[in-house]
Amino acid sequence: MTAAPLDARLDPIADWLGGCARGDRSALKAIYDREGAALLGMATRILRRREVAEEVLQEAFVQIWRRAASFDPSLGSGRAWVFAVVRNRALNQLRDDRHVPVEDHDLEAYAAHDEATEDAFDRLAESEALKRCLSRLDPVRRKAVLLAYCLGLTHGEIAGRLGAPLGTVKAWIRRSLASLRTCMS
Amino acid sequence: MTEDRAALQDLAGEFVLGLLDPDESAAFERRAEREPAAASAIAEWRERLLVLDAAAAPVLPSDDLWARIDDGLDAPGAEAPPAAPARKFSLLTRLWSDLPAWRGATLAGAAATLALAIFAAATYRDAQRQPQVIAVLLTPDGKPGAVIDVFADGSSYVAPLTDVSVPADRIMQVWTLADPAVGPVSLGLLAEDGSARLRPAALPAPKPRQLYEITLEPDGGSPTGKPTGPILFKGFAERPR
Repeated sequence: MTAAPLDARLDPIADWLGGCARGDRSALKAIYDREGAALLGMATRILRRREVAEEVLQEAFVQIWRRAASFDPSLGSGRAWVFAVVRNRALNQLRDDRHVPVEDHDLEAYAAHDEATEDAFDRLAESEALKRCLSRLDPVRRKAVLLAYCLGLTHGEIAGRLGAPLGTVKAWIRRSLASLRTCMS
Repeated sequence: MTEDRAALQDLAGEFVLGLLDPDESAAFERRAEREPAAASAIAEWRERLLVLDAAAAPVLPSDDLWARIDDGLDAPGAEAPPAAPARKFSLLTRLWSDLPAWRGATLAGAAATLALAIFAAATYRDAQRQPQVIAVLLTPDGKPGAVIDVFADGSSYVAPLTDVSVPADRIMQVWTLADPAVGPVSLGLLAEDGSARLRPAALPAPKPRQLYEITLEPDGGSPTGKPTGPILFKGFAERPR
């Protein structure tokens, strides 16, 4: 298991989070400069609208600043922690927006979004253990996992998208998670 | 690996995938705070899946985004030092951290007006019986628009904090999202001057972080039973301290 960084030098973000906790703004800026575009890419993939994703990123960075002291390096890397903060904000925003009626251009963007899961998979480097382990999953199950993680879809939405019963989708994802865990350990 | 450990890992995986509903998710987060095995199961899943996030096509932030973040750090409650002063701002901080991003709102400006709104809310609340939760609703540009107190019997009291010009054939309708599976449920309509005591709604007891909003609907209220008009004000409930 690779949860803990092997060496602090490999995880500069953990050091910068320490800087944030001490009130050093340049440490937050360092995180922003290094990961801002990747974080915005992730948030845009979930939220689809760039301006909404930027607002989420803005809010998440204030949260990173304020919560940096609660980062525990014994639990995992600073990078994973920072991505999780932005990701959770993006998912919350997605859930809040869900009942707001969508306009036509949103629907168009939504339709174009369907290949996003294949793109997410293709973009993983061949050397990544996750790529190898995802490749072993049945394609439709892999898609279910990627629809959840990369696009933030719920069980029900995934069932609708894949035309499969809800219980089946839940079971697919559960088994896929177990298989990924074994494959990556 | 024992069966329990496998079940915990599965649950943590679903949590990190974002598949738990808000209640389950909040419960699992609380569990992770007191159970190191749950916290490390979450951290392990985050590390496993991180490369998927990191490999998303990068999008360069707008030139002014850093300046907006930097400004936001000056908002009350946003300062990093975790020591004593944080306590003083706990209500503001928590409300603030729970608010969704509103288009065009600056963090600093919104936080300042929110502080005023909470002050106003606390002042008028003293004259009322104790509400279960209180929600300060913001306008899309981050200004306080209304305060809702929700009482133990399910009734609520809505007080506007800003003037709204409601067209003659429209009415303001109050909604809450108690259960995302059910969707927003109407709490009632507001007369044109805004302030109203709303009758008890047949809903579960209000919870912290529950979403409240006011939309502009056709006279007589939404014809569909769900919000159809623009959102005027929106915010999350908190327990009064």
